[in-house]
This record gives sequence, C-alpha cells and structure tokens, in this order.
Amino acid sequence: MIAGEKIEVDALVVGSGIAGLQAALDMADQGFSVAIVEKSPSIGGKMISLSKVFPTLDCASCITTPRMASVSHHPRIQAFTYSVVDGIKREGKTFTAAVTRKPRYVDEKECISCKRCEEVCPVCLPDEFEMGLGVKKTISIPFTNAIPQFPVMYPEHCIRCGACARVCPKDCIDFLQEPSPLEIKARAVILATGYETTPMTAKKQYGLGNLPNVLAPMAAERLLAPHGPYGRVLRPSDGKVPDSVAYVQCAGSRDKSIGVPYCSRVCCMYAIKQATLLTGSLPTADITIYYMDIRAFGKGYEQFYNNAKAMGISFVKAKVARVTEDAGHNPIVRIERQEGTSAPEEVKHDLVVLSQGLIPGCDVSSFHLGAELNDFGFVKLSDENISSAVTAGAGVFAAGVVKGPRDIPDSVVDAGSAAIEAANYIRKL
Amino acid sequence: MTRVNPELLEEIRKYGAFDISACFNCGNCTAVCPLAKEDASFPRRLIRCGQVGLEDKIISAVEPWHCYYCGECSQTCPREASPGEYMMALRRYLIARYDITGISKIFYKNSYLQISLAAGLFAALVVLFNRYTGDFGALAAKIEMAFPVYVTLALGGYVLNMYRHIIVKPLGKIALTFKPKHIYETFYHGFTQANFTGCEETDWWRWISHLLVMSGYTLTLLISNLHLLEPLNERYTPFGPVSLLVWYAGLSIIIGGGSMSLRRVFKRRESSKFSHPSDWLFVTMLFLIGLSTLATHFTNVAYGPENPLLAQLYRINIAIETVWIILIVPFTKWIHIFFRPLAIYFQHIKKEAEAGTAFSL
Repeated sequence: MIAGEKIEVDALVVGSGIAGLQAALDMADQGFSVAIVEKSPSIGGKMISLSKVFPTLDCASCITTPRMASVSHHPRIQAFTYSVVDGIKREGKTFTAAVTRKPRYVDEKECISCKRCEEVCPVCLPDEFEMGLGVKKTISIPFTNAIPQFPVMYPEHCIRCGACARVCPKDCIDFLQEPSPLEIKARAVILATGYETTPMTAKKQYGLGNLPNVLAPMAAERLLAPHGPYGRVLRPSDGKVPDSVAYVQCAGSRDKSIGVPYCSRVCCMYAIKQATLLTGSLPTADITIYYMDIRAFGKGYEQFYNNAKAMGISFVKAKVARVTEDAGHNPIVRIERQEGTSAPEEVKHDLVVLSQGLIPGCDVSSFHLGAELNDFGFVKLSDENISSAVTAGAGVFAAGVVKGPRDIPDSVVDAGSAAIEAANYIRKL
Repeated sequence: MTRVNPELLEEIRKYGAFDISACFNCGNCTAVCPLAKEDASFPRRLIRCGQVGLEDKIISAVEPWHCYYCGECSQTCPREASPGEYMMALRRYLIARYDITGISKIFYKNSYLQISLAAGLFAALVVLFNRYTGDFGALAAKIEMAFPVYVTLALGGYVLNMYRHIIVKPLGKIALTFKPKHIYETFYHGFTQANFTGCEETDWWRWISHLLVMSGYTLTLLISNLHLLEPLNERYTPFGPVSLLVWYAGLSIIIGGGSMSLRRVFKRRESSKFSHPSDWLFVTMLFLIGLSTLATHFTNVAYGPENPLLAQLYRINIAIETVWIILIVPFTKWIHIFFRPLAIYFQHIKKEAEAGTAFSL
C-alpha cells in the first residue's frame, strides 16, 4: 500500500463492503487503476462480520476474506482504510476527491502486526466489531481477519502509560500522528457506501436499546459466529444459555410511523438464517419468528424457509407492538394472536432479536456529484430499465445497498454491473 | 348465515376520516392497545370485518364502546391507517344504525343540516319566547317537565335496538345477568370512565375535562329536567345549596367543555386530530348550556328576579336547552353516555351466555 499526498487513478471506489470490493476487483482486472476509500480501519464492510450467509449457509468470511486479500494484493488497487471522503469536486472530466486519513498512531510502514502493543495495553473498551458484546484493547487490531493488520489506537481512551511504545519491537508507536490529507484524482466514481441498520431507538415501544436481552441482528450474527465474543450463544444480561429466542420482524422496515415504509428485503432471510443456525447451537431452544409476511423471494429462499419450518422453528403471524422485560431481564413481547377469535397476548422469551431494516450508510448527496437521491436517501438510478448502476451524475456509478436494500448476491451482481459501466465510461472519455 | 355487504367499508368511511383500506392486518393496533382484552379484541378484528363486509359482526360488536381513543394505535400503525379514527367512525356508524328513526344517519352525513336546524330552531324559539305575553316562568316549567318524557322515548329506542343487535339476534334469545359485580362495574365505569386511565400514558387532563363535563352536565340535566330553578319567581342566595350546585355545574361544563374545544382546535393529541362537524356542534352546545345557565343564575343572584336582563337571559337559556333536547340529545353523539356502560353490561351477558349461566327467556 502506498500512501501519498496526491494520486491519480482511473476509478475511485467509496466503500469497501462486498459491493465495493467486487467493483474494485472487476475494474482492476480489466486493467484500470483503482483507489478504495474506506472509513473503517479494515476493508470488508458489514459482510465480514456476518456468521453465515443465506440461503446456502456458507461461511461469510470464507467468501469475503479471499476478496479482501485479492484487493490488498492487487497491483492496480490502492486501499485507503480509516479514511473519509470530505468532498468530491468535478473538474471537466476528472473528479478530485479530498480525503482525510485518520491517524492510527502507528507507523504503517514499520508495523509488522506482531500484536505486542495489544497484549500489554491495560485499557479495555467495548468492541464495536462485536457490537459491544466483547471488549478490545485501546490499541488493537480491529478484528482477527482485518486487512490491513495494523493496530488502531483510540487516544480518547488511552491513559498514556507508554507500555505499547516500550514493547514495540519496531518502535512504530507514534503518539503525535496527525490526520493527513490526501487528494485522489479519478475519472470515474463508484459509490458503494452500503447501509446502516435502523437504530434500536427507532421505535419507542421496543425498549430504546435499554433492554439487555433485546439484541440487534448484527449482535446476533456475532453471537453465532464461530469466533464471536463468547464463542457460543449466551444472553448478555446474565450469560444464561437462552431457552427461548424470538425474532421481531419488520422492527425497522415497512413502518410509516418510523419513516421507513419500504421493505428492507433481507430481514426475513437473515432472521430465518439465524434461527436455523440457532437450532444448531441451541438444539433444545424454542425459536419463534413473529412476522407480518415472509418475503422469501430469491433463488432457493422459499426452500430455505420451508426447511426452517420443518426444523420446528415456529412462525407466528403478528406484528410485535411492544417489547418490555420482567425483573429477571426476560424480554416480553406483546402481540395479537390472530388465529381463532384473535386476542392480545404477552409472551416471555429469554432473548429477543429485533430484525432491523436497512437505511443509507452515508449521505452521498454531501459529495455533490449530481447523483440524485430518492425520498429515503438512497441513490436514484438514471433509468432502471437500462442500467442497474448508472446514476444521474455523469461518471458516477453506484454499487450495492447505496441504491436501496438488497442482499449479498444482488450486491455482488450489480457491483459487477457498476464496474463494467464505469469501464465503458472511462474508455469513451 | 352471514351476509357480506360489499359497500360496508365505503359506508363506514362516510362517518370519519381514515384510510382503513391501507391496513394489511398486522395486528399492531390490537397488540399495542392497553384496553384490548382476550375477550374483547380490537381494533384489528373489526377492521377485518369492515374490509370483508361482515355487517352483522360490526352491528353486534361491543368493542367500539370499550375504546377510549388514546390514539396509540394510530401513532404506531405501520400503514398510518388510523385505526383509532376507524373506531371513532364505527361508534358514529353504530349510533346511526341503532337509531330507529334514521335521523342520526341523515345528520351524520349532512351535518350542516343539523347545525342549521339547530340555529334556526334557536332563533325561532327566542323570537317566540319574547313574543309570549303570559307568565314565562310557568311556560318554562311546562317545557322543562316535558323534557324527561321526550328524552326517555327517544333514548329507549336506541337502547332496545342496541340490545336487539348485540344480544337478541346473535344469541337467538333474550338474556340478562343480575350478578351484582356486573351491575356494579357497569355503573362504576358509567360514572367514572375509569378506562381513560387504562391507556399506556394517561392523558389526565382529558379524563378530568371529561369528568367535569359529565358531572356538570348530569347536574344541569337534573336541575333543568326536574325544574329545580325558578329564577323569575325567587331570588337565590349566592351560597345556598341550589346555587352551589349551579355554580359547580356551570363552571365545570365551561372549563371541561372549553378545554375539549381547545384540544380540537390545536389537534395535538391523536383523539382530537379529526373532528366531525357533529362533534363541534356537541361541544359548542354544551359550552353554551353551561354559559347560559351560569349567566342566568348569576343575574338572578346579583340583581334579583325582576331584572329585565334576567328575563332575556332565561329565555335564551330555555331556548338553548330546548334545541339541545330536541335536536342534539336523541341524535348523534349524546347517546354514547348510555352506550359505553351498556357495552360493558352486554359483554358480561355475552360471557355469561357462553358459560350458560345467563338468565334467559
């Protein structure tokens, strides 16, 4: 990886989730030079933190890691992690992106990723990669298979004890590092900024994130991941093995009252996937999915749903109206049982997962590229019938969830589409 | 056999502002409702009945009267289908359906007819009363004594019709329950509207306003229908027992009714967002009753029965009460005073009948 003050490439890819990685690889393999800007300390995006993917139950990191490695070793790709795009200016037929590289407080040229600094650091903080379920050191490599394998230090938590600096064999801890500017000139821009999940506070009836055993789906992914925070599925409040787990579908989608009226397209399937995985890790647990309707629309999805039903996961048609808890932090969901005469009912579970929806990960209108947004902040395509990647801004293409919620296969496919559209555009310049 | 009425939803829609066809039956409203119980599940079940045109189920439903419109269902509805307003519309629809004269239906659909009739009748009465040369006190006594007879006749039809639709038709027999607990509960809720506090966050001011209006109005009803006041014949002391009753009745109607009207103007709460013209007529008339009763009594206490202003005010007071009794009480909103407690009683009958313990013929 080369860090420079000013670089020139053919294409700039903003975001390095699965869509960004795929688009960058497809561009670079055609002979174009690519720069990736990623705000996190590692490339890989959301997918690298998932346990398995639906409907094949393939290991998510087994699919992502090779792509991450290819990107980091590709001679025509430069990835700038822990960097943010401050703005992109269009000058004639080139784009000039102003990027700020945040300081890791580690000399990246010297670091050999030995992790000794991490071992001696005495300060722990909640690990956001584990969705707060585990802890990490104040100077640490973001996660096991992070790329690049450089530690990041968080100065707001550091107690300046100097233990890391003393133990570092290459003397590369640099407490005085400053953010450094970087200018990237590119001929095309591919937006792949992905998504965030709707916040736990989106619906006040769901406990506002104050109930310890009501989890975000990303936290549930980490519980299920083989290298997750606890190494097995336990509930956060008391470490009990949950005996009854519930999924609340549409906890952040298809709800006009929280401003997200659209369907997020992945929640039904990830909930079914997690439920299926739970039957493996918790063979005796009762698993319930409360749904409005199950949208299993992709290849093999319906079969996957039917398998889940056959495995004994119970699907209850009900929109959960409230989630509360009892004195033992057992979440209680209030629903309407619609079978028979219909009646409101409160059901107690050990663990509840809110199937949150997807909202834009980044407001790309702040880049002023001429790419139009729809009412919900996703990038609008100039003509959906002609291309799945061309936006209203010339030379600006979009890949993945930045255009609206979609699953991994769809993101990969249209990342390829964005790459080929960008390649055609550059060739014609 | 259940008959399907394909026009049902369109018909109910005429009684309120809501977009119930957007509902996809997720059940959020029923689950979020603190008043929905196992044996009285609403609003989703009734929305479904409306959507598929099950007229019989709606006509025989007690649930609309259990809803106190806290509005949480409308606030959290994923489709913004306003289930709370649907329940309100159902109450208006049911009043229209239980009215044997069919006039409520006409008034609900052409509210301006009711309003202009009320205004016209009021003007005519004021003119008539002013031209009356005899003893107006004696005339007022006769008018007021006629009120209870008229009201009983008008309301008896409603109650019998409601009973017919909710109990007699579905059960196929006349059934009653005499358990003291059930009767106590009926009266308890009738007088306290305690279910206002059953909502997730009690809107105390709404409940207190309603209690003030309810108690003040009931007192006014007693005072006027029993003809307890003769302001033209007698001078009342400011703190005599009758005066105290009048002060309380008048002030609580004005404060409660005034606050209810203001809520409808500012529309901050879900329950006051949509106002049917009949709601406006109702609160305005109530407010005027309180105001005119108070003004009449104050003039009597302050200036004595011979005061010419008092004679004028008393005529206006009687005119307003007459309009109220003839045009407002028997039609549209007023009857909810009886329907809410009766719904509780009827639900007990239904439960008893199911268990086979109801008294029946």
